Formats: sequence, structure tokens, C-alpha cells
Amino acid sequence: MIWLTWRQHRKQAFFTLLGFAALAALMVPIGLSMRHSYADLGLAECVRQLNDPNVAGATREACEAGFHRFTNRYGSLNLVAVLLLTLPVLVGLFWGAPLVAREVEHGTHRFVWTQGVGRTRWALVKFGLVGAGALLAAVCYGLGMSWWVDPLTQSAREGRLGMIVFDLQGVVPIGYTLFAVALGIFAGTVWKRMLPAMGITLAAFIGVRAAVAILARPHYQPAETLTFPIDGTSEPRMERGDWILSQGIRDAGGTMVAPDTRIMCPPGGRGPTGQVCGAELGLKPGAYNWQLYQPADRFWLFQGIETGIFVALAALLLYLALGRIRRIA
Amino acid sequence: MDVVLEADRLGKRYGRTWALRDCSVHLPAGRIAALVGPNGAGKSTLLHLAVGLLKPDAGAVRVFGRSPYGDTEGLADIGFVAQDTPLYRDFTAAELVIAGGKLNRRWDAGLARNRLAQLGIPPDRPVGKLSGGQRAQVALALALAKRPRLLLLDEPVASLDPLARREFLQSLMGSVADAGTTVLLSSHLLADLERICDYLIVLNAAQVQLADSADDLVAGHRQLIGPRHDGGPIGGVAAIVRASHTDRQSTLLVRTDGPVTDPAWTVREVGLEDVILAYLADGSTQTSHDEWGVPA
Repeated sequence: MIWLTWRQHRKQAFFTLLGFAALAALMVPIGLSMRHSYADLGLAECVRQLNDPNVAGATREACEAGFHRFTNRYGSLNLVAVLLLTLPVLVGLFWGAPLVAREVEHGTHRFVWTQGVGRTRWALVKFGLVGAGALLAAVCYGLGMSWWVDPLTQSAREGRLGMIVFDLQGVVPIGYTLFAVALGIFAGTVWKRMLPAMGITLAAFIGVRAAVAILARPHYQPAETLTFPIDGTSEPRMERGDWILSQGIRDAGGTMVAPDTRIMCPPGGRGPTGQVCGAELGLKPGAYNWQLYQPADRFWLFQGIETGIFVALAALLLYLALGRIRRIA
Repeated sequence: MDVVLEADRLGKRYGRTWALRDCSVHLPAGRIAALVGPNGAGKSTLLHLAVGLLKPDAGAVRVFGRSPYGDTEGLADIGFVAQDTPLYRDFTAAELVIAGGKLNRRWDAGLARNRLAQLGIPPDRPVGKLSGGQRAQVALALALAKRPRLLLLDEPVASLDPLARREFLQSLMGSVADAGTTVLLSSHLLADLERICDYLIVLNAAQVQLADSADDLVAGHRQLIGPRHDGGPIGGVAAIVRASHTDRQSTLLVRTDGPVTDPAWTVREVGLEDVILAYLADGSTQTSHDEWGVPA
């Protein structure tokens, strides 16, 4: 069985390796250059200093300027990061979907399932080996991406909890990849043709990933709120990397009057025409800044929860696929 | 008499349509049996039920006394060649022999290699690039290498040209004759079967029309030609299978239970093909008429 699995999938394994090599050849130089600039601008030191509540104003400004320069130079790479997000689903499309669908499409399931090993054992060995291959690829991808995206994440205000960068690094790629493979296998047992199975896999993967990221992820833990007055000398220390879910300005009664913004005036400051702070927004005395956020230190907890969700979904899909395989003739 | 394959009121349904219904058949050991019927008669369904690919919806099927669905142990005794002889097209014949060895506990790789060498099949070319006849031979060699006690072949020669067809059937006969393997092969090509099969199962419209040894079938049927027949009993005739009439004359294909002595009838012997065709033509077309809303 192991020999057969290797013989059938060695071409896919080879192309996956080739893809990895090409990706590495492209990404490693970019990553090295990013890290080089990051070190040159002294940003690692800045991250440490900005986390100190008593940081001097001059240092803060210098650091912000450094981050700004870094982001200006490499910010467009965030688009590349979006492209890299698609890699797990490719594994699902080219490893998962053909696993059963190609056998049924070519009729070879009638050959292999009538040999001495039963189809249940056939399925378990295949799931296991292809799953292990996908797992290995996902671990390499996760480690590589974590290394590559780290400077980008550090210099972005929202940090590694932010959309897209959260999905690229840590352990979540493992969850996504296993889910994509299981989804492909399951789709293959339902539609039994390669192209429809691949199409359904793609659509379902995007749907589930988007639903989890947008609807579920902000609620893995109760979000925390932070309020601070609209006039003061400095914003309250915000941990870099907090994931801000929503923010705005509320009036004294707590009603949101200016969503998606925040203001900060010097104490007693007046505008050119002598109006009080925030008057152009129609703010009355007592208004305050409000924000809802997930603290940066929940990163690994969130990674764990998200990975758990997708691994559980993958296990469920494989179980269902096993049941369907018993009924294909 | 050992029974290799036994179906008891076996049925399989796809949605609301019965692909096979009330199928009761016994296949004695050591026979070369033909499963005959038009396309869609349920031949593949019966074979898939016998090899455990399908689960019966009604009744039971037993092969060597075991229910084949989900029975991995029992698979060792059954060699199966599915319709269109599916094989991994990117594998070479040699690799398929290795694969078979990895997938079966009992595996005679030498037998497969000898057969393929004799047939002149290249070991290092992907089987997808072989001719249809060669591919069928590879599939047969793989099935025989299991040293099965029952060999099930689903339309093995349907896609082959007449020459390849004859070669395939000859080599099949040669290899099962000494091993005592029971063979059940489905086909709608009657002429070929007549030469090689000694047992016959006729399926039509999801039901078994006939199941008996070929000799008994030929001996037990006669063609009668005589004056126009009005349906009355004829001495020595058990049943009229098929009748066609002109104004003054009737031609009947009958199952006999004794000598037909009535001098009004000219009695002729029939071939196996005539008998099969008579039973196939007898199949019900009533449903179709109902569905089309036209009188039968």
C-alpha cells in the first residue's frame, strides 16, 4: 500500500518540492533584504523601546519615522503575502481532490478495491500518507512564512494578530492545509470527478476560511475595551500589535457619535477659530475615545483555537469521506 | 454439487429504479458461465454485488458461503476484471505486477510475468500506451495472479476487435481449464460465448430470465414450425418461449419436457444463440409503454 501510494503520488510530491524550491528562491532574497533594512533602521530596538511606557517622545518619533520608512519600502509586499495565502488550498486541490475522484473517474477504484486489501484500509493508508505529506509541507510553509513575514508584522501597527499576517504564520497553516486536503478528498467522494471536486474544494475552502476569519475569530475570547479622553498629552500606551476590532468616539452617554475615528487635542487646545476640541465633529463635552481590541499577547491562544477548529473540521470530513467510500461502486 | 456463487432474491436499487431485482441464481463450481443480457440489464450490478463493491438492497449474495460486501478476507478468492479493464494508465505492466504483490497476500507474480512475456507485452511501457487487447490481457494476468477460485469478468471483450477478442477468450480458457477456476463473464456478444461457456445466466430488465447449463438449454429447447397455432397445448411442450405467426403458419421456440410427436409440427434443433435471443426478446416492455403513455 505504501509503495502504491508513493508510486501514485510521487509526481505530485516532486512538483510540490519544485514549487517550494522556486518559492524559496524568490522569497529568501526578499526576506534577507527586509531583515537587513530592519536591522539598519534599528527597528528591533525600537520595538523594545516602544513597549516601555516611559519612552521619550523623541525616541518615539524617531522610531515611528523608521517604521514609516520601512513600511514605505516594503509595504507592497503585503500584496505578495495575500498571494501566499492561497498555497494551502493548492495542496487541497492537487493532493486532496484527486485522491478518490481520479480513481473513480478512471474506474481504477474497481481494480484497487477488489485486491486483497479492503477499501477501508486503502483509504486509511492513503489518508495517512497524503495527510503526513501535507503536514510536512504545511510545517515547512508555516516556519518559512513566520520567518519571512516577521519584519513586516513588527513594523505594522496591528501586529501579527492582523488579518492575512495571522493566517500566514505560526501553526494555523497546518490547520488550513489539513482542512484543504480533507475537503478535497471529501468533495471527491461526493462529486467523483476531478474538475468538479476541485472547483467545489476551492469554493468551500474560501467560504469556510472567510467565515471563520471574519465571523468567528474576533470572538475566540471576549474582546477588551479601552477608553481614553479626547484631550491629553499622549495617547494611552497601546501595546504594539493589539488587534483593534472597532473604534470610535462616544458621547458622555455612551452613544457612538463618530465611528472609526479617534482624536487627540492638547489640553485646553483650541482650533484656529477658537472652537473647542472636536467641535467640527459635533462633539460635546464628556465625549471620549473608545476602542474594542484583542490584546497582542493572545496571539498563540488564537493560533491554537483556529488550528483546532480546522483540524477538527478536517477529521470530520475524513470520517464522512470514509463512510462515502464504502458506498462507491 | 458445490455452489460457488449464490444469490437469493438479490436486489439493488439506484434511487427508485431497481437495477437488479429478485435475482436468484446458483453458480456451480468449475463452470465457465456467461452472464448475458442487453446493456443496462443489471449484469455489472450483479458482478459488483458478487465482488463486494456494492451492498445489496434486498436479498443476499454469497460467494463461497460468505457475504462479500465489506469482507476483505473473501476478496483473496475472487479475481475481478471490471468493465473497460481499468488500470493505472501511467503504470507499466511490470509496476502493476509489483503493485498486485503489495496489495495481495496470495500473489503469483511469476504467473503474471510468464503470461505477459508469452503474450509479448512490453514490461516497461505505461499500460495507457498499450492497445486495448494488450491492456485487457494485462488486467486478466493480474486477476489470475491472485490464483482466484472465482474469476469475475465484466464485459472483458466488449471493446476489443474480433481478433483480439478471440485471442483473449482463448488465453482465458487455457489458463482456467487446468486450475479448475470457476468463471463468470458478462457479455452481450453471443457468438463468442457459445464457443466457450458451459453455463448460462440470462438477465433482462433487472431480472433473471434463465439460468442453466448450456447443454441442457440446447437439449431442452426446440423450434417448431407448423400450422397457425392458437395457444392450445402441444404434446411434449412445457412452455412456448417465443412465437411468431404468419397467416397460415406459426414458428414457435419452445421448452420441451418430452419428445414432440405431433406430426403437424416440424421439429428443429436450436443453437444456444437462438435460445438466448428468444428469452431476451421475451423481456417486458410494458413499463416503457406506460411511461410513454402509449398502448402496448
